[in-house]
Amino acid sequence: MITRLIADDIRHLGTGAHFLACTIDPMSVFSYADMIEETMKERRLMLVDAADLAPDDLVVAVGMVSHGFTFADMPPAGDEFVGCVEAIEATMGQQVRGIYPLAAASINGMVPAMVALQMSLPVIDADPMGRVFPLISQTTLNLAAIPIGPIALMGVAGDRAVVEVGDAQRAETLVRSLVTDLGGWAATAMYPCAAAQLRQHGIPGSVSRMIRIGEVLDSDRPTRWKHQHIARLLGAKRITNVRVVDIEGASRPSDVAVSALPSSISLVDEESGQVVRLEIQNEIVLVLVDGGTAAAIPDIVSLVNTDDGTVVDLSDIREGDALDVVIFDAAPPWYREDGLRLAGPRAFGIPLDHPRQGS
Amino acid sequence: MRVAMRLRGTACTTVVVDGLRVACRARESSRASLRSSLDEALERLRREFGPAGISDITVDVGQELAGAKRSSVLVVRISPRAPVDDSHVLRLPPAAAPSVTRIMYVAGGHDMRGRSLTSLALESFREQLSTLPSEDVAGVAITSVGSLVSPEHEMRAADAVLSLHGDARVCVSSDFPSRAFRDRESNAIVNSSLMRHGETVAALLREVGARHFPGIPLFFAKGDGGRESMARLPMLPISGLAPEPAMHVVGGAALAGVSDGEVALCTDDGVRIGRVSGGIPVERSASRRIDHRGVSSDTTLLNPLSENHELRATVPRVVVDLRSARSKTLPLNLVPTLTTDHDTALVGAAVAPMTAWIDRMVTVSGRADLERAQRIAEDDAESAVVQLGASPAQTRIVQSTAYAMPYGDSNIIRIRVQAAEKPSALDQPSSARNSNDDS
Repeated sequence: MITRLIADDIRHLGTGAHFLACTIDPMSVFSYADMIEETMKERRLMLVDAADLAPDDLVVAVGMVSHGFTFADMPPAGDEFVGCVEAIEATMGQQVRGIYPLAAASINGMVPAMVALQMSLPVIDADPMGRVFPLISQTTLNLAAIPIGPIALMGVAGDRAVVEVGDAQRAETLVRSLVTDLGGWAATAMYPCAAAQLRQHGIPGSVSRMIRIGEVLDSDRPTRWKHQHIARLLGAKRITNVRVVDIEGASRPSDVAVSALPSSISLVDEESGQVVRLEIQNEIVLVLVDGGTAAAIPDIVSLVNTDDGTVVDLSDIREGDALDVVIFDAAPPWYREDGLRLAGPRAFGIPLDHPRQGS
Repeated sequence: MRVAMRLRGTACTTVVVDGLRVACRARESSRASLRSSLDEALERLRREFGPAGISDITVDVGQELAGAKRSSVLVVRISPRAPVDDSHVLRLPPAAAPSVTRIMYVAGGHDMRGRSLTSLALESFREQLSTLPSEDVAGVAITSVGSLVSPEHEMRAADAVLSLHGDARVCVSSDFPSRAFRDRESNAIVNSSLMRHGETVAALLREVGARHFPGIPLFFAKGDGGRESMARLPMLPISGLAPEPAMHVVGGAALAGVSDGEVALCTDDGVRIGRVSGGIPVERSASRRIDHRGVSSDTTLLNPLSENHELRATVPRVVVDLRSARSKTLPLNLVPTLTTDHDTALVGAAVAPMTAWIDRMVTVSGRADLERAQRIAEDDAESAVVQLGASPAQTRIVQSTAYAMPYGDSNIIRIRVQAAEKPSALDQPSSARNSNDDS
């Protein structure tokens, strides 16, 4: 299906992108949404299914890889992603026909729209994560053995690199070290593949899902309606109206494979006395309720304000805040044995099996 | 006794508070000029309470600043490269945009480890500056990529401005801790545009205050629910731009003798909910809520009461009824616990404690290192409160958080600490509620 996106869609896309990665400061998302809406005044932005492209069409994932800074800290000059896509075209000797997000959440859910406008290409309604994971190797394309490389990178200072690498784990090491020296973030283009491969191994509908989430949360309807519709849309369960009682930094030893020190948030239901603990390492990786596992990565966990249904920005949480914890399933491939091995709790240094493992 | 004062146009309104008891209700002095109104109000207070009867004065300058004509501001953006097209130019928030006359791009900036991304293009910046007339450089807001880690390029650019335009009011974004370039820049622009007026207001208050109460400590009310020395208003006017929501919460809680819990403010415009912890409002990053005044951090915001707000018996709650017509029932079956005609925002300003913030990124190598860094930040925050005039034994940590930034360097932690004085007023809630309740 081919859809022309309008400015409202971009606003909703931003809200949905923030909802799906509430641990990440949303300023980059909001700033990018502004830029995209401005550019859309003069250009058309099309959202297509992978099936709308010819099977052999070359498509490529674009996304920001961060190691310290984001676009909000360090705004891009604007030619970074186009430069990366052009570098992929030059390396592969083939024109790119469609752009898809490296992760359908946070800033990487927004970037393809801008790149597509700049290059007059369509955005493909699919991605290889169905959420955001910290590692570029944590993709369904990697599960399907589709090469991650060549990878093109460009930093804020205009420095460029093309990494010709096939193994995604090796790519993670190389790209992460380059990103640090490129300034803290790099625009990247990776996982160049045929549209048919993305159709078969990507997660379909992940861009339009962000828009649908945003439509609910941005609506003028009562908060209760928003909570109910989000739960219905995503098949989510909610832990409602729990109050933050403790925020703890460096709460666990960190794992070398996944950057960022773990943090924890403890919440309590003041009426039932139920204690909820969120373990955070880039993303919310574990939810414990009275010591039992209520959710574990790759489950998707988001936080919304109990009172107004807005997405909670993790850095803006204060002790005493009342939150709803929203938990829902990631895409089905992540619950396969190989999916859980790549992106389950143990991949984040948590010595637990996912509740579905062994069942 | 402590005095709180609100400036509005040429009028000023005063309240006198003794501990938590309102000793003198809100009274307005409205003369042909603000100076005359201030003279009248302070003369009256001196007559009634004597020159030694008033311990300090806290002024809500928010409406005065909000109504002031803002200075024009030159915006200096320091980053490795300028935007390549119009669509990548960072948009200015509505609160900041009207003051901006020009945006200048200068090569420079630092990465998260504090390493220079590119050399600061100081010579070409100086050349551009030298061609500008002084009126275009009345206010200058300088924001550099990475300045939260290293403000070096911002400081060097500020020195360059002042060496050529000594009268410019220069503001660097690293004075407003936030990771986001846009937040820091917006604060720097609004602050810079208000600095001249902040100087004028502070000078007037000092002069008139000294005439009636020589040597009296003067403060201004801040958006985080605290107060700060008037001497700082010329440098940080943005802190005093929107104190009223916070002061309503402080005042409502103080009048009810509650220092922890929810405060529901019921006015003719509806019910809004805030929260106090230790007598101080819980603040928010206001930029996330698109605050029209451009205050982007350390600001108290009140949320409208929604049907989803669960009124739990376990949470202490003050319901302050400030409506002009009180015969109607309140929404969601709220029952007023305090019915008052007092000016709660001014009462809040009178009892507000001195507050200070530390917000910094630190590199740590483990939990022990983190705890040490957090303790240092807490000591620094308490020292800052002492520097404002509090006794060293009368300071406290209101909140102290340390968290890793998602997708950041695993060794870099952001530490935020708020410290405050222990106001004697808040230590003695006793029977204050009854004495202030008009019902």
